[in-house]
Amino acid sequence: MARRYDSRTTIFSPEGRLYQVEYAMEAISHAGTALGILASDGIVIAAEKKVTSKLLEQSTTSEKIYLLNDNIICGVAGITADANILINYSRQAAQQYLIAYNEDIPVEQLVQRLSNLKQGYTQYGGLRPFGVSFIYAGYDSHFGFQLYHSDPSGNYGGWKATCIGANNASAQSLLKQDYKDDISLKEAKELAAKVLSKTMDSTTLSSEKLEFATICLNEEEKVVYHLYKPYEIDALLKELNLGGQETE
Amino acid sequence: MECLIGIVGKDFVLVAADATATSSVNIFKTDEDKSRDLNKHIIMLYSGEAGDAVNFAEYIQRNVRFYGIKNGIELNPKAAATFTRRELAQSLRSRKPYMVNLLIAGYDITKTTPHLYWIDYLGSSIEAPHVAHGYGSYYTVSFLDKHHHPDLTLEEAKILIKKCIDEIKHRLILNLPDFKIKVVDKDGIREIVI
Amino acid sequence: MSPGSYNGGAVVAMIGKNCVAIASDKRFGVQMQTIGTEFSKVFPVTEKSYVGLPGLTTDTQTLQEIFRFKANMYKLREEREIEPRTLSKLVSSTLYERRWGPYFVHPLVAGLDKNNQPFICAMDLIGCITETCDFVVGGTSEENLFGICESVWEPDLEPEDLFETISQALLCSIDRDCFAGWGAVVHVITPERVITRTLKSRMD
Repeated sequence: MARRYDSRTTIFSPEGRLYQVEYAMEAISHAGTALGILASDGIVIAAEKKVTSKLLEQSTTSEKIYLLNDNIICGVAGITADANILINYSRQAAQQYLIAYNEDIPVEQLVQRLSNLKQGYTQYGGLRPFGVSFIYAGYDSHFGFQLYHSDPSGNYGGWKATCIGANNASAQSLLKQDYKDDISLKEAKELAAKVLSKTMDSTTLSSEKLEFATICLNEEEKVVYHLYKPYEIDALLKELNLGGQETE
Repeated sequence: MECLIGIVGKDFVLVAADATATSSVNIFKTDEDKSRDLNKHIIMLYSGEAGDAVNFAEYIQRNVRFYGIKNGIELNPKAAATFTRRELAQSLRSRKPYMVNLLIAGYDITKTTPHLYWIDYLGSSIEAPHVAHGYGSYYTVSFLDKHHHPDLTLEEAKILIKKCIDEIKHRLILNLPDFKIKVVDKDGIREIVI
Repeated sequence: MSPGSYNGGAVVAMIGKNCVAIASDKRFGVQMQTIGTEFSKVFPVTEKSYVGLPGLTTDTQTLQEIFRFKANMYKLREEREIEPRTLSKLVSSTLYERRWGPYFVHPLVAGLDKNNQPFICAMDLIGCITETCDFVVGGTSEENLFGICESVWEPDLEPEDLFETISQALLCSIDRDCFAGWGAVVHVITPERVITRTLKSRMD
């Protein structure tokens, strides 16, 4: 049945579905997990790196977590090549806002810009949707810390804690179980590591398979982005008895 | 010719614009309001080529209002001034630049601070405690340099602006019989009579 | 009156021993009338490189916004700060894009590179770069600055001596230029930190 209606993104099936968009979401649910947890004093984003081969050169910086603007970071699940295009687009959008208003872009507006672009690719002919979901963590003076999620259809929503990628359903229910409204950033980091340790395939976690980042405010009320170094991730994991490599 | 004045006080901005509508040597009316409210807490005063001024002011006004409707949050004075400056700077290098000089006065409700911006038709933008546009500025700027201070109360500011206007009426060869005076503070924008 | 001297202003940059300094006056005027007295024409682009943009204020402000945009994008893409020499090429190519309708500015770039080697350069309004190993000047006080810098600058000045030299050179120059003045800002960039000081000067 699907055959006739899934060749183009623009075509609804008789049941009112857009198959290509659903396939894109399916692609993401096989990608490495990324999760975000909103705490009272900051936000944590953690992501699973899929190591495909021992011979593959490990990239020096992050491949799942990116800085979009001084006040916004994001975690990625899906096709990295697609993500790169969207990340570049959102960085440009944030800088254009800075030029227009001499202020950092409010978080929701950046999420909206990106979601509108994604939506366009589900409607205009000859294009396939972006195979990427994002988790956005940001701060602005209007609404403080905010966590958002967007998917290939162009839908987005604000969350207290959410997860994208492989095993996102089980991670989501774990988060639902253990999330408290007044959770601190420290507790959020521990929760993030705990959830990933249960949903990832491998038995022991280590910096080789994980990426970790936080945003919080410093004394001057400026947003500080902290991308964890491998040894910092291992130290955190060891502290929680979840694994961690010996660092030489 | 036309004259705009702005004074920043402790927790407000007081602005005045002459109310004379002219064309060549004729005065058409003396109760023209040369200002537009950009949103609840930002007002823009304009002077310049007749058609350009109103057209540009309303273009900015509609854009700032649209931002508020679209995003559910309002622009603050700094953001509105930056946006306006950019529009003028881009216009300067177009086929027909807008010939408009502006003052943007506003109250930042999140930071609870008053702000006043001076913008000319070239797109130069300056934030300052007291500014003026037009021939009247030659008398008022120096006068305010002497008498302005950061803790100015509204009553003091009213006296200052009255003296500025009196000086303009006294010294300037051109006849500017009336001024519209407005104040912007935490409660919004309102016209006052002195 | 040319666009370059419509608003007035002066900027100077100097090389010292393992440090550079860049300074600007604070006047903003429209021809003979002074409107603002808190307008520096020097802007930080990274922690260790600054750009000075004396000239027509609308273009100073537009270019400052453009360079901030481009340097931020560079930082996000490359995951490192832009080097001052690279920055000068970026400034130059941005200006040359407007070859037949230029921005009316006289940019100076000053900074320390990743090895903390000093770098300064000046360029004209369409981006022709002049790199020097002593000092560069720009703005309405350009001629005055050339004369005084030529006589007071010497090689291998330590940060504090460089601060004194650049401050005196700028103050002497702007006191004899009615389009510049009303105080000044000096940034001395050293490997450890940037020392920023404001100077009082004749307020007329």
